[in-house]
Amino acid sequence: MITRIVVRGYRLFVDFELEPNAGTNIVVGDNESGKSSLLEAISLALTGRINGRWAQDELNPYWFNVEAVENYFASLDSGSPLPPPEILIELYLTNSDDSLQYLLGVHNSRQEKVPGVKMHITPNPDYAEEFAEYMADDDRPAILPTEWYSVDWRQFSDERLTRRPKELGVSVIDSRTVRSAAGIDYHTREMLKDFIEPKESAVVAVAHRKARHIISTETLKSVNERIAEQGDALHDKPIGLHMDQSASASWEQSIVPQVADVPFAMAGQGQQAAIKVALAMNRSAGTTAYALIEEPENHLSHTRLTKLVDRIEALAGDRQVFLTTHSSFVLNRLGLDKLVLLHKGTRAHLGALPADTVRYFKRLSGYDTLRLVLAEKVVMVEGPSDEMVFERAFRDKHGKVPMALGVDVISMAGVSLKRGMQLCSALKRHAAAIRDNDGKEPEHWRVPIEELLENGKREVFIGQVADGPTLEPQFAKVNNDEDLRQLFDITDGDKATVDWMKAHKTDWALTLDEHPEVTVSYPGYISDAVDFVS
Amino acid sequence: MTNTATLAVAGARKTQSIVEACAGGDPTTRRLVLTYTLSGQLDLEERLRAACPPASVPEVCGWYAFLLRHWVRPFLPLMYSGRRLGGLNFDGLPQRNGKRIVIASGEDRFLDGDSRAYKRFLSKLAIDVADAADGTVITRLQRMYDEIYIDEIQDMTGYDLDILERLLGSRSVIRMVGDMRQSVFSTNAQDPRHKKYRGLGMLDWFEVQRKAERLEVDYSSTTWRSVQAVATFSDSIFDPALKFPATESAQDKSSEHDGVFTLAPEHAAAYIEQYQPFRLRQTIATALPQGITATNFGISKGQTHDRVLIFTTKPMRDFLTKGTRLAGESACGLYVGVTRAIYSVAFVMPEPDASYLTVWTPTG
Repeated sequence: MITRIVVRGYRLFVDFELEPNAGTNIVVGDNESGKSSLLEAISLALTGRINGRWAQDELNPYWFNVEAVENYFASLDSGSPLPPPEILIELYLTNSDDSLQYLLGVHNSRQEKVPGVKMHITPNPDYAEEFAEYMADDDRPAILPTEWYSVDWRQFSDERLTRRPKELGVSVIDSRTVRSAAGIDYHTREMLKDFIEPKESAVVAVAHRKARHIISTETLKSVNERIAEQGDALHDKPIGLHMDQSASASWEQSIVPQVADVPFAMAGQGQQAAIKVALAMNRSAGTTAYALIEEPENHLSHTRLTKLVDRIEALAGDRQVFLTTHSSFVLNRLGLDKLVLLHKGTRAHLGALPADTVRYFKRLSGYDTLRLVLAEKVVMVEGPSDEMVFERAFRDKHGKVPMALGVDVISMAGVSLKRGMQLCSALKRHAAAIRDNDGKEPEHWRVPIEELLENGKREVFIGQVADGPTLEPQFAKVNNDEDLRQLFDITDGDKATVDWMKAHKTDWALTLDEHPEVTVSYPGYISDAVDFVS
Repeated sequence: MTNTATLAVAGARKTQSIVEACAGGDPTTRRLVLTYTLSGQLDLEERLRAACPPASVPEVCGWYAFLLRHWVRPFLPLMYSGRRLGGLNFDGLPQRNGKRIVIASGEDRFLDGDSRAYKRFLSKLAIDVADAADGTVITRLQRMYDEIYIDEIQDMTGYDLDILERLLGSRSVIRMVGDMRQSVFSTNAQDPRHKKYRGLGMLDWFEVQRKAERLEVDYSSTTWRSVQAVATFSDSIFDPALKFPATESAQDKSSEHDGVFTLAPEHAAAYIEQYQPFRLRQTIATALPQGITATNFGISKGQTHDRVLIFTTKPMRDFLTKGTRLAGESACGLYVGVTRAIYSVAFVMPEPDASYLTVWTPTG
């Protein structure tokens, strides 16, 4: 099990550290937060490969952290040049497993006596001269010459690795779908190999070779005879057509999985992902201790996704899973406590979430938790009318919608204020909550969640009891009655404005929203909330 | 399971006993086999692969590689901060004074400019690093290997004995095999440490370990190579006070010329002509008759020949004629030479009839 991940200088990561969960890790973040790069980094250090190709062959300037590269080139013209950028990826493993002892040593950046693997990408000392020459060239572009770099893949015992340690098996399930008729990707092929016993593999290879031979000697016979007749005209030695019997024509390359008589590559995109997960599950945990899953929700309908998430949960049973997602559903279902939140290459540190809140969101898996997770600032409101009134108030003050200034207004849609605040508190999120007093003193609502609030950072805004129990009376109270009746076009003279508004809860808020030119006043707690997140 | 040292006679199939123990034991047991010589290592690897189920072929490692890989490399920075092991400096030596005594100290005594460990001080470096790692070298090893076999134990000297002692204190079962009477090489020839345990003195070291209840010593006294007459003569080279059990021959073949003989230098050419013996001498210092070549004892170790012809030294002749005991190292050399033979051993000496052995003369 991986207990610590250190990534330095790779893509978005300047100096990144993560102590992952033992079971599932749900990696969440905006675009460009480093989600995929984290999975890539883990895969690189575990297998030495990326997308099935050796790191040394795939190494390119874009692997290096842009900022580090810019600083390096900028420093070259200064008096004190920086050392060339490097990439370091370290995976620290649990010391509980005897079979990992050979990976144990102190050759890691923390000098800890633990088993582990690392990948260090540095300028190759053998090419020091070429490297210096390149840098000295006036015309050189500000791009790192990765040709002069070397990939050093080692155990923490400082022993060089040439192939993946067998104890560190990994299933990689990426969201890319295969469209070519050529079949399947490297990772899927690796998983397929587990199905076939070595003995069966030999039998298939022989049969495959035989079949090719028969095609060559029998099926192609007439063709070859005809060529032979014209032989002299073509070349001084006889030319014939034969099936390829070289290693590149091995049977492994010709075998593809079929799902209900449909070849894998022809299966739907969603189905391909589901098949990959199913294949990964087939591998014993003994051979694959880790699973890396990229955005499993892609291309899947909701029902399919439910099944897939169940499978992933089972997969995580005895493996360590790293999964990236954009789906609140996946996050809620797998458990908010498994969340690893990334932001521009750094990890947001999360507080503890009570177990019952984790369970609560699992049941309420449709709730858009990710908005809460990813927002810079959050305003939690009870329903659509509160949302629209707050948005309007915000616009009046800033001339922009809240989202434009990083404020996400989220309707709680039944989620209790306490659960929402718990999540915001764990996320250390800047959050305001707006709620009705429902006839009780604001303190009545505030006291139970007081420990989740933080001065200037998280607060709950509630109107005074004297000004009415809900938004409608509160709003009516601070505005001229005639103006409101006119704005909302209330023609029924028997009905009080507040009663009409209560009966048309979203209509009045929508009208307000659609008429920004009409000046209105807002209840104090709404304005306070606007100020709080401004 | 207890640690054992099996002291075998020449031709006792020591290496085969390791192969059999590995092949016949529990296939889930994780085994490491350590050898001293590179040729021994390759031969052993081949035999283990042939004898063991593919999934449980033991790991084979040379002694120096073992020290580098498992003792020094993983933990070197704990002893010498920032240093990474480059490899092994086999022949080089750290800085010496005019009297050729190594004066380099600290890390320069152990590592050269390319961070390669000097072979001469490697086992001391291993002990130092293990101390700096505070026991992790041994805990790591005992979690990796259930059993560690060590071949050619008689070649271990100096700080190697400290390494062995630490291994004996680990949870892994240590099985050592060797023959004190064949101690003609040593891993640390120049190491003054544990001088008294050199060569046959290692018997005393075994006794210390046995008393500390870290080790049991047993003997393997059947030779599969030499006929009984040669085996019995080989026993006579050593002082009975060393209490080696008598060697028993399991060689069932015989020839028309079995046993131990003497012959005059002028008959050497005729003897060679008739029997084609493998020719041996103690060292290059032993003079040879014109036109005859011979191999040094030390180099012949591990070989088997039908017959051997030995060109004698003065101490050897004193031993053959007057029974004067040879010094430890010379005795071991002679023992190695004699025990190369299956059928016969002949000594070339100016007065062949001065010993109790049968004198050979050319017939006709």
